[in-house]
Amino acid sequence: MLEDKVLVWRFNRGDTAAFCRIYEKYRDRLLKVAAALLNDRTDVEDVLHDVFVDFARRTGRFQLRGSLQGYLAICVANRARDRNRAQQRRGTERLDAARPMRCPEAGPQHAALNRELMQQMDEAMARLPDEQRETIVLHLQSKMRFREIAKLKGISVNTAQSRYRYGLDKLRSALNGELKK
Amino acid sequence: MTDSQKTEGIVRDYLNNLATPSGAEADGKILCGVLTAMNEARSQHTVPTNGIPWSAIVTSKAGKLAAVVAVVAIVLSFTVFDVLTQPAWALEDAIEALKDLKAAHIVGAFAGETVKIWVRADVSKSQSSTMIVRSSHGAVTWVRDGSTYHYEPGQDTVYFENAITLGFSDWLGPDLLRMFSMAEDAQTLRGKDPATGRDRITLLCSIGDMHGPQSWIMEFDAASKLPIAFKQWANLDRSGPPAFEAFKITYYEDIADSLFDVQIPGNPTYVERPLTIQEAFIDMLSNPAHGMPTEGLDQQQACERILRTGFQAVIDEDLETLKKLSPFCASLGDELLRAAVFRTGREDRVTEILEIGEICKTGHTQLGPIVAVPVQVRRKDGVKVEEKTIVQFRNIAGVPSCVIYGPYGLPRDIE
Repeated sequence: MLEDKVLVWRFNRGDTAAFCRIYEKYRDRLLKVAAALLNDRTDVEDVLHDVFVDFARRTGRFQLRGSLQGYLAICVANRARDRNRAQQRRGTERLDAARPMRCPEAGPQHAALNRELMQQMDEAMARLPDEQRETIVLHLQSKMRFREIAKLKGISVNTAQSRYRYGLDKLRSALNGELKK
Repeated sequence: MTDSQKTEGIVRDYLNNLATPSGAEADGKILCGVLTAMNEARSQHTVPTNGIPWSAIVTSKAGKLAAVVAVVAIVLSFTVFDVLTQPAWALEDAIEALKDLKAAHIVGAFAGETVKIWVRADVSKSQSSTMIVRSSHGAVTWVRDGSTYHYEPGQDTVYFENAITLGFSDWLGPDLLRMFSMAEDAQTLRGKDPATGRDRITLLCSIGDMHGPQSWIMEFDAASKLPIAFKQWANLDRSGPPAFEAFKITYYEDIADSLFDVQIPGNPTYVERPLTIQEAFIDMLSNPAHGMPTEGLDQQQACERILRTGFQAVIDEDLETLKKLSPFCASLGDELLRAAVFRTGREDRVTEILEIGEICKTGHTQLGPIVAVPVQVRRKDGVKVEEKTIVQFRNIAGVPSCVIYGPYGLPRDIE
C-alpha cells in the first residue's frame, strides 16, 4: 500500500514511469475483472484502455482514498457495465461469439472445471443483475472487502453483502446439477 | 461443505480460469494509447520534473537508472579509501570467486520498476564495456562503440550521447570489493537468508563524492562467495527507499554478443543529449583560486593547455597542480586522490599522454561555456584509452579562465 502511495504521488507529479508501473502492476488483475464482467470479451482490452486513459488524465489531481487496486477495479466494473448495457440496447449480446483467448494459468483446476461448466458459468454470470455480478467479481476476484466495495460504490456494507449473497444464491440455483455431483 | 461454500468455490475457480489476453497482447493494444494520454495530460499540468525537453529522459526509469549506474561507476573512481584495514571476513574468498567471471545479469528495481541488466567487463576486467538495461515498460538503455543510447517507447525517441555514461568504472569484481572493504565505515554482518536458509554475509559502507553521498548494502552468499544482491541509497545513512536495488545477480564467464542486440521498432527520432554538469558544483567551479587564465587563448588552445597540465599532474602524482586546476579534486583528501585518481600501484593508472583531441561537444552553465575534450592516454598495462574530460570556461571579475570539471563518462579502450 505504501508503494501505491508513492507511485500515486509520483504519478501526480507527471512521472510517466510511475504511471507505467501502476499499469503494469494491476494490468493482469484488471484484465481478469473485465473478462468476468463483460458479456463480450473482445472488449476486455478496450475497457482497460479506457480506464487507464481516464486515469492518466487525472495526473496532478488524483486523490487516492482507499486502495488503488480497488479504485481501478471499480472503474473497470463501471466501464464494463456501460459496455454491456450499450450492447443490450443494440441487441448484440455476443457471449457465444467471444473469441478464444489463451489462458495462461490453465492447470489442474482448469481440468476440474470442464468446458461445459465454464460455459454454464458464463451464462449464469451474464444473467445476474449488474450490481450482483460486480460485487461477486470484486469480492472473489479482486479480493476486495465488502466495506471497501461499499465505500467505493457509495452503498452500505449491508447492501454490498446482500448483493453478494443474492447473486451467489442465483448462481447456486443455476448450478444445481453441478452441486449435486 | 455447504452449497454456498461449494458455489463460492466453483465461482472462484471459474474466475481464476477465465481466459484473458497475455500481458504482451494487452500491452500492444493498450499501452501506446494510455501513454499518449499520460503525456498529453502531463503537458497540461506544470510539473517540476518536466521543465525542459531533455528532462523527459531524466524522468524516465531507464534514464534515471542510467544516471544512477553511471554514478555508481564514477563514485567508485573517486571514493576515499583509507589505509587498508583487515576485512572482518574473508573478502579474499569473494575476490577469488569473482576473478574469472566476466559478465553478469542483474535483476533489480529502479523507481518502483523492474529492470533487467546484461553487462560485460572489458578485456582487463577493470570496468564494464558493454551494457544493456531493459525496463519493464519497454525503455532500453545501452552502450555501443563508445556511445550511450536510450530508447523511450512512449516518445518513440532514441536519446544518445557520444560518451559512455552507463556502466561500472570498477567491474563488479575483485577491485570493486577491495574498494568497498577499504571504506572507512565498512562493516560486515553474518546471518541466514530467511528465504533460503543459506548463510550470507552482508557488507555495509558509505561514501561521498562529486555525485553526492551514497551508501550501500551488498550481500554475499557464504557458500559461493559471490555478491548476490545490493542496495544503493543516495544518502550516507541508508535512510528511505534505496535509489537502486539489485535483487539478483547471476554471473557468467562470458555471454553471447546477441544479448546486447537492440531492435527498436518503427523509425524513432534520434535526439542528442546536451552536455551538462550538476548545478550543485557550480559554486565550486566558480572559485577564482582554482583554474588557469585563458587570456589570448581560444577554447581549443586553452583546453589543450589545461588538460595536458592536468593529466601530466596525474602521471606525476602532483597533488598541488591537480588541485589548482580542478576545484573538485581540491575538495577531496589526498588519500582519495592517490587511490582513485592517480590509481597508485594499479595497472590501469595513466602513464603517458598521447593526444589532446579537438573539442567534441559544447554546452553552457550559468558560469559560461563548457566543453568536452577527448584525451588519449596510455595506461601502465599498455592499453590505449580515450578519457573525455569536461572543461568549464568562466569570466570572474573580468578575468577569463577555465577549470577542469571532471570526466565525461567512462574511459574507452581504443586499442
